[in-house]
Amino acid sequence: MLFKDQVDFVSQHIKKNKLRVFMTVLAATMGCAFLIVLASIGFGIQDTMRKEILEDQAITEVEVYTNNGEALDISQISEVEHVNAIVHRTSMDIMAVSQLDERSLEGNMLLTNFVEEEKSNLQLSEGRMPTKENEIVVGYQFAENLLTDAERKEMEKITEEDAEPIGGYKESLIGKTISMSMQSYEMDEAFPEKWDFTIVGVTEKPARDWFVDTNMLVDESWKDKFQEVYEANAGNENPDLFYSSTKIYTSSLEHVKSVTEELKEMGYSVYSVSEQLEQLDVFFMAFKIGLIFVGTIAVLIASIGIFNTMTMAVTERTREIGVMKAIGASPKLIQRLFLMESAWIGIIGTVLAVIISYAVSFLANWILPMVVGAALGEDEFQDLSMTFSLIPWQLVVIASVISISVAMISGWRPARKATKIDVIHALRQEL
Amino acid sequence: MIQVQNVNHTFLIGKKGKEKKVPVLKGLTFEVEKGEVVAIVGKSGSGKSTLLHTIAGFMSPEQGSIIVNGQETVHLNETERAKFRLNNFGFIFQNFQLMPRLTAFENIELPLKLKGIAAKKRKTSVQLLLKKVGLEEVADHYPNELSGGQQQRVSIARALITNPPILFADEPTGSLDSETEQDILLLIQDLNQTMGVTFVIITHDEEVANIAHRKFRMHDGELVKGDTSNVI
Repeated sequence: MLFKDQVDFVSQHIKKNKLRVFMTVLAATMGCAFLIVLASIGFGIQDTMRKEILEDQAITEVEVYTNNGEALDISQISEVEHVNAIVHRTSMDIMAVSQLDERSLEGNMLLTNFVEEEKSNLQLSEGRMPTKENEIVVGYQFAENLLTDAERKEMEKITEEDAEPIGGYKESLIGKTISMSMQSYEMDEAFPEKWDFTIVGVTEKPARDWFVDTNMLVDESWKDKFQEVYEANAGNENPDLFYSSTKIYTSSLEHVKSVTEELKEMGYSVYSVSEQLEQLDVFFMAFKIGLIFVGTIAVLIASIGIFNTMTMAVTERTREIGVMKAIGASPKLIQRLFLMESAWIGIIGTVLAVIISYAVSFLANWILPMVVGAALGEDEFQDLSMTFSLIPWQLVVIASVISISVAMISGWRPARKATKIDVIHALRQEL
Repeated sequence: MIQVQNVNHTFLIGKKGKEKKVPVLKGLTFEVEKGEVVAIVGKSGSGKSTLLHTIAGFMSPEQGSIIVNGQETVHLNETERAKFRLNNFGFIFQNFQLMPRLTAFENIELPLKLKGIAAKKRKTSVQLLLKKVGLEEVADHYPNELSGGQQQRVSIARALITNPPILFADEPTGSLDSETEQDILLLIQDLNQTMGVTFVIITHDEEVANIAHRKFRMHDGELVKGDTSNVI
């Protein structure tokens, strides 16, 4: 029998039992949709947590510390395979006061090596990386926080947290020269020494909305000069004036794990996003398997309906099956026709379930933040990009395989029963 | 064409554990020639239907051999038998045994579908046969919209559609009135003469048996001797 004729034969039977087949498809749809939506919660939460982690830092970043406070052996680390850049940033326990015309800003200064920063793929929203000693890169919010005294006073009056910033420098900072001086946290006045720096680059907007980047990135060659000035003005040595953090950037995400392990073997304390993601993934793998297992129970319950429908179909058509066999239909063909029917129920049920699941997932992600926000009385909750439900293609594949397989397995026994029908007995059945 | 040699079969009757063996076919031996119309007559319970079922391959006899077109059929498995039936046999049943959900046209084309013949070719063959059995007008009707005679014609057309060399008819006029019975018998004779189809007719009706070239009378699972002569 040609495949097309087999399909026609099956669809003819389905059309004759529309209501019964519809109810069975409905049960299969509900079971499969329950499985997808339930598992999508696991995928959704995992996605939210991954995003949280990845927003905090670059994915190829590995933080390195020494266990005893000693300096890192940069030359040893640089020999590790797949290390792309070693960014050694030094911050100071002091305020950096920047002045541009009548505007000023009290911010942080970070000393770094721009060649390594460039290798680490530091992104700029405008401008370029510094090439000279007195060229600097400033943070994304540096300009809007350069305020006049009048603007600063006005800002202090506003108590609302989410008020729009007032004033700030509206033009591009690229090519502008600022005057920078240092000021100790314990003193009211800045040190008299001033340096002029030309802004050549502005960093990218921070991934987190609430993070305000007003840092100045200055070449590390200034470190000794700043220390001299500090000691001359503060009158004492501050052993904790500088504190450093070293971040290693690998050439790609896949190398993070090998670099992390090699650095650990060297005796360093290492922290990378891959380690955190790995732990998270292991936990969520177990969590999702659990959810899929629970969802599969719903599919199995639906399969009872399919089994019932197919058994009824075989019983009702005993005489027809007998005639088919008598005129030359092979048992294999009879079995295939019934398996196709149960597979059809499974496939249609799964397709509908996938469509419904995407709709439910979309609605959940749209409505739930509002509901939870309203219940908790927090408006900010609505703004968080929280994913409650996520349906990746892998979940669709897993659910489809489970649902269609279960449908076919439930149709297997009735189909076998059909092949065993005795022709003589079937032909004797009453019309 | 058909050689039945020393065929024996026993049915087990009664409750499980207390079954009784009842012999239904007792050492049957006969032959049917190509192009013959053979009638197997006998009372109910004489074993004529069981004989047809064994020749047609619906069941296997306990003993004996059945050779059809040179092929021993007793030892074939279910799938092989189905294929053999599709290629060699056509069936006409007392109750017509049409598919209630298929039209007359679809019922007739069913064996061609089973053979995997393309739709276009099927259509031509079915239309030709519909004309031959005089059912062109009711091709799109369902079995419950047809008279008994029309249903049996559909059944005959379905049996003939694959051009099988042998056609089995089990009480072909059992459900028909006498006028329609005559039509069907004339059709069988016509098909035998024009198409050379071999007919094996099972009947208890002497009038039906009279159209056969030879008739075998069965009694209590045995062929009654001296009653295999030509009747026409």
